[in-house]
Amino acid sequence: MMLEIKNLHARLADGREILKGVDLSVGDGEVHAIMGPNGSGKSTLAAVLAGRDGYEVTEGSVTYRDRDLFAMAADERAREGVFLAFQYPVEIPGVNNMYFLRAALNAQRRHRGEPELDAGQFLRVVRQKLKLLDMADDLLQRAVNVGFSGGEKKRNEVFQMAVLEPRLAILDETDSGLDIDALRVVARGVNGLRTPDRSIVLITHYKRLLDYIEPDHVHVLQDGRIVQSGGKELAAELERRGYGTFAEQPEVAASA
Amino acid sequence: MSASLETQQTIRELSQEGYKYGFVSDIETDTAPPGLNEDTVRFISAKKNEPEWLLEWRLAAFRAWREMPEPEWAKVEFPPIDYQAASYYAAPRQQAAPKSLDEVDPELLRTYEKLGVPLREREILAGVAVDAVFDSVSVATTFKGQLAELGIIFCSFGEAVKEHPELVKKYLGTVVPQNDNFYAALNSAVFSDGSFAYIPPGVRCPMELSTYFRINARNSGQFERTLLIADKGAYVSYLEGCTAPQRDENQLHAAVVELIAHENAQIKYSTVQNWYPGDAEGKGGIYNFVTKRGACRGARAKISWTQVETGSAITWKYPSCILEGDDSVGEFYSVAITNNRQQADTGTKMIHIGRNTSSTIISKGISAGRGQNTYRGLVRVQPRAQGARNYTQCDSLLIGDRCGAHTVPYIEVRNPSAKVEHEATTSKISEDQLFYCRQRGLSDEDALSLIVNGFCKEVLKELPMEFAVEAQKLLAVSLEGSVG
Amino acid sequence: MSAVLDFPVKPEARPYLEGFGRTNSGEPEWLSRERQRALIRFAELGFPSRRSENWRYLDLQPLQREPLLPGKSRRDVQVPAELQMDGACARLILIDGHCHGAVFRDLPQGVWLASMRQAIEERPDLVRAASCGEVDAEHPFDALNAAYFADGFVLDVAPGVVLNQPLQIIHFASASGAVHTRNVIRLGEGSRATILETYAGEGRYWRNDVLAVRLGARAELTRAVLVEEAGEAVHLAELDATLGTEARFSGFALLIGGGTVRHEASVRMTGEGAQCRLDGAFVVGDNEEANILTNVDHQVPHGETREMIKGVAAGRAHGAFQGKIIVREHAQKVDAHQLSRNLILGPRAVIDTKPELEIYADDVKCSHGASVGELDETALFYLRSRGIPDAEARHMLVEGFLREPVEEIADPALRELLLRRLARRLERLEG
Repeated sequence: MMLEIKNLHARLADGREILKGVDLSVGDGEVHAIMGPNGSGKSTLAAVLAGRDGYEVTEGSVTYRDRDLFAMAADERAREGVFLAFQYPVEIPGVNNMYFLRAALNAQRRHRGEPELDAGQFLRVVRQKLKLLDMADDLLQRAVNVGFSGGEKKRNEVFQMAVLEPRLAILDETDSGLDIDALRVVARGVNGLRTPDRSIVLITHYKRLLDYIEPDHVHVLQDGRIVQSGGKELAAELERRGYGTFAEQPEVAASA
Repeated sequence: MSASLETQQTIRELSQEGYKYGFVSDIETDTAPPGLNEDTVRFISAKKNEPEWLLEWRLAAFRAWREMPEPEWAKVEFPPIDYQAASYYAAPRQQAAPKSLDEVDPELLRTYEKLGVPLREREILAGVAVDAVFDSVSVATTFKGQLAELGIIFCSFGEAVKEHPELVKKYLGTVVPQNDNFYAALNSAVFSDGSFAYIPPGVRCPMELSTYFRINARNSGQFERTLLIADKGAYVSYLEGCTAPQRDENQLHAAVVELIAHENAQIKYSTVQNWYPGDAEGKGGIYNFVTKRGACRGARAKISWTQVETGSAITWKYPSCILEGDDSVGEFYSVAITNNRQQADTGTKMIHIGRNTSSTIISKGISAGRGQNTYRGLVRVQPRAQGARNYTQCDSLLIGDRCGAHTVPYIEVRNPSAKVEHEATTSKISEDQLFYCRQRGLSDEDALSLIVNGFCKEVLKELPMEFAVEAQKLLAVSLEGSVG
Repeated sequence: MSAVLDFPVKPEARPYLEGFGRTNSGEPEWLSRERQRALIRFAELGFPSRRSENWRYLDLQPLQREPLLPGKSRRDVQVPAELQMDGACARLILIDGHCHGAVFRDLPQGVWLASMRQAIEERPDLVRAASCGEVDAEHPFDALNAAYFADGFVLDVAPGVVLNQPLQIIHFASASGAVHTRNVIRLGEGSRATILETYAGEGRYWRNDVLAVRLGARAELTRAVLVEEAGEAVHLAELDATLGTEARFSGFALLIGGGTVRHEASVRMTGEGAQCRLDGAFVVGDNEEANILTNVDHQVPHGETREMIKGVAAGRAHGAFQGKIIVREHAQKVDAHQLSRNLILGPRAVIDTKPELEIYADDVKCSHGASVGELDETALFYLRSRGIPDAEARHMLVEGFLREPVEEIADPALRELLLRRLARRLERLEG
C-alpha cells in the first residue's frame, strides 16, 4: 500500500479546522483523482502530505510505504519519493533550472546510496525526459520558473517529476490555467509516467483533466472529508449534478 | 586536479569547520612601541629605509590626521578606538630580500601552507602570481621574472619605492590624497606595505595578480597601501583575498587602494573578504575601514570593483570611481553579508565628470542574526558630465527578525542630459521558495544556499573563476545557523 | 527676555531671543510656559547647518542674511478671490498668521473649525494633546514656531462624522517679516474629511507653519497643500501625523511658487493596519529652491505606505527629495514603496534625491525607486511630428509627467483646481 490516510484531521495556524477526518487508501500503481469545490480542503490535503509549514495535524495518521509520513521532514519525504506538483510554482531568481534539478536529483540519489550524476550524465537524463514530454529545452537554461507562463510552469513541474521519478506524485490542480494544447502536453507527460510502482494523486476541480488522464478511482472531497468514492464515471456524474448534491454516501465499487 | 583547484579545496575544507585560520605564528617580530606620534612615523620610515620625500609625505599625512575628527555618520556602532594603544609596525626579522623561495624563512613558508597557499606550488600553477604580505611587510614575490618580460611591474610597495620611485612619486596620493579622510590620513602616515603594479601601454596582463595577507602580532592594526596603474590600453585583473587569526582585541584594518586607468585601459579589482567577524556575541573581530578609489583618467577607461564581504566585525568601505575620461565606465558589484553581530556600512561613489560616462551598481545585502547591513551610495553627475548614465540596483535580504537592512542612496545631478535610475528592494527569504526546494529533496541548508546564491548571481558572475567557487562556499559558511 | 542665560546661545538665534515680545496677553499660564521653553530650545539649537542630514540640500541664505521677526499686517489686505476653491463646505482665512474669519456652508454636526486662538480658549485639551514633546536638532524651526506663533486653525471632527465636501484654509501673507502659524487637525474614530490648504502672498516674508494631525482608528484624512508663495518668500512647513488603527492619510503637496520652499512630513503609524499616501510634486525655475522631505515610521505591523514625488527643475533652480521609511522590529507585514522621479530641464538646474530605507523587520515588502533624467526625445519627436510646436510639446510632456501624483486625488473639484494651478505655473516655466 503506497499511501494510507486514516481519519486525518488538520487545521490552519489560526485554528480553523480544514480536514475533518479524511480516509483514503492508494495502492501501488494506482491513479486516484480527488475532486471537490473550493474550500473543501484539496490544497490543504496536498500541503499536509508534502509537509508544508503552517498546518497542524490534530488527529489521524498517514502511512507512506509502511512509514509514518509525519515522522519525516518535508525534504526527507521528498527524498523518500514524495513529489508535489504545485498549483502555483514559485519563481527563484538567479537559480538555473538545470542546476536546481540536478541538485535535487543528486540529493535523492545520495539518500538512496546511489552515485551522484555529473553535469554530462545529468544532461543525458534530461534530454531523454525532454523527448518524453515534447518540451523545448530553452526552459532549462532559465532561472527556475522566472518569466514562465502558466503553461510553462506546469510543464516544468511535470518535467521535474519525470526526472526525479517519485513513488508518489501529488498533482495539485495541475490543469488550472491551461489551455487545451498545454493540457494535452501535460497529460501526455503524466501518462507516460504511469508505472506499476508509482502512484499518482490528481487533485482537481474540473473533470476535464480526467478525460486525458484516466483515473482508477475518483473521490469527492467536501467540507474536509471524502464523502463519496467511485470509478471514473463518478467524475461524469459530478459534472452533471454539481458538488452541491453530494452528501455522505457509501462507497460505490469501482467498475472494471 | 590542478594546483589552483587544490588550493581552493584546501581553503574550502579549512573554512568548513568554523574559522580555521585562528592560529598564531611565533616568528619574532620587530615591534614598534605602542603609540602614534611623529617619532612613530619616523621609526617606520627608517625601518624601511625610505627616501626623504616619502618620509615628508607621511609626516604631512600625520599632521593632517591629528587635526581630523573621527567620522561618526556611518550607521555603525563601536567602542572608541584608542589610537595610542596600538603598535604601528611589526615586521618579521629577515636579513635581506629573498631572491627565491629557498631563501625565505621556512617558518613563514609553513605559515603559508597552513593558509592553503602552497607557494612552492605556485611556480607550477597555471598562472597566479602571489605577493604575500606577512604582517606588515611583504615577504615573498613570485613570478617577477615572467611578468618583467612583458614590462609588467608587480611587487611589494616597499620594493616599488626603491626600484621605481618615479612611478610611485607620480601616482601616490593622486586618487586618495593624504587628507581625504580620517582613516586614509592614518594609513598614509603609518602604512607599512602593500602591493604595487604597473602595466605598460598596450599590455594585457596574462595572469590574475593576487595577494593573500593576514594580521598577526598583538595590537598591530594593518595598514596596507596598494597602487595599481594601467597605462594606455592595458588590462589587469587583480584579486584580493584575506584571512585573519582569532583574536580578542579588535583589530583595525585601514587600507588604502588607489587605481589609475589611462585611456582605453581596464582594471578589474576583485575582493573576497573573510576577516574574522567576531564571535556570536560580537567580541573580537576585525574593524575594516578601507578607502578604495579608482580614477578613470583617460577616455574609454574602465574600472570594475567586485566584492564579496562576509567577514569583519565592522565594515566601512566605499570602493569608488572617478569618471574623468570621456566614455569611461565604472562598475560596482557587491555582496555583503552580516550575521550574528556584524555591522556593515558599505557602498560606492560614482562621480561622473567626463562626457558620456556610465556607471553600474549592483549591490546585494544579506542580513541574518543581529547583523546590520547598510548600503550607502553616491551617484553624482557634475555640470559638465554630458550624457551621463547610471543604473543602480540594491537588493536586501533579511533572514530572521532581529537583523536590519538599510539603503541610503544619494543621487545628486547637475546636468540635464543625465539618466540616473535607482531601484532598491528589501524582503525576506520567501517561505515558498524554501519549501519548493525542500519538496524537491534539498535540505534546509542546501535550499538556503541555493536561494542566496541565486539572489547574488548577478554579482558572483563578475568574479574571476578562481574566486567564484570560494565565494559561493563562503556565502554558505557565513550563513550557517541563520535559518531554522 | 533679558535674563542672563546659563547655556550657550547660538549667535543667529540671539535676535529671536531678544525680539520675543511680551507674551500675548490673556493667554493661559501653560501656554506662556510652553512658549518660553520653546524659545530657549531654539536658542540652544540655532539654525540647522548644511551638515545636518535633513537640511543638506537647502540653501538657507535668505534667512540668514538678517533676522525675520513677525511683521505688521497692512490694514487693507485683500485675499485674491482666485485663491478660493469652489464647492468648499467651509473656509477659514488666515492673513499674516491671524484668523480673519471663517465661513461655513452646510457643515454637518460634530465638525469644529476655528482659529487656534479660539481653540486655546475653548479646547485647550485638544491643543495640548497635539503637541509633540521635545524638539530635536533637526527641527529647530518647530521650536521657534512654538514660541512665536500668533494664531492658526484647528479642525476637530467627531467620531463617525463624514464630510463629503472639502474644507479650505487660505494662508495669505502680505507683511514683511515672519509669519508663524500653528495648527491642529484631529479626526475621531471612523470620521472622514478632505482639506485643501492654500499658501500665497505678496512681498518678502518667511512663513513657518507647523501642523499636527491626529487620526483616530479608521479615520480618513485627505490633505492637499497648494504652495504658491511670492517669489521672495521663504516657506518652511512641517507636518507631524500619527495614525491610529486602520486610519488612512493621503497627503498631497504641490509646490509651485516661492523662493525657498521646504515641506517636511513625518508620519507615525501607531495603530496596526494604517495606510499612508504621500504624494507630491515640485516645480522650480529661475533661482528657486524646493525640498520635499518625508519620514514614515512604521512602529506596528500591517502598515502600508505609498509615496510618489515628482520634481521638475528648470533655469538655475534646485529641487531635492529626501524620503525615509523606517520599519521597526516587530512591525511585520509592512508594505512600503517609494518613488521619486525627476526631470531636469536646463543646464544649470540641479536635482538631488535620497530615498532611504531603514528596515528592522523581515516579513516585509519594501522598495524604492528613483530616477533623474530629461524629457524623452522619442515622445517629444512624436508630438512634433504631429505638428505641435516644440515649446508646446515640451510643456505637454512636463505636464503629463506631473499629472500622475495629482490624479491620485479622489475629490474631483480639488483635483481640477490643482491641475489648473499646475498648468498656470508651467506656462511660465523656462524650457
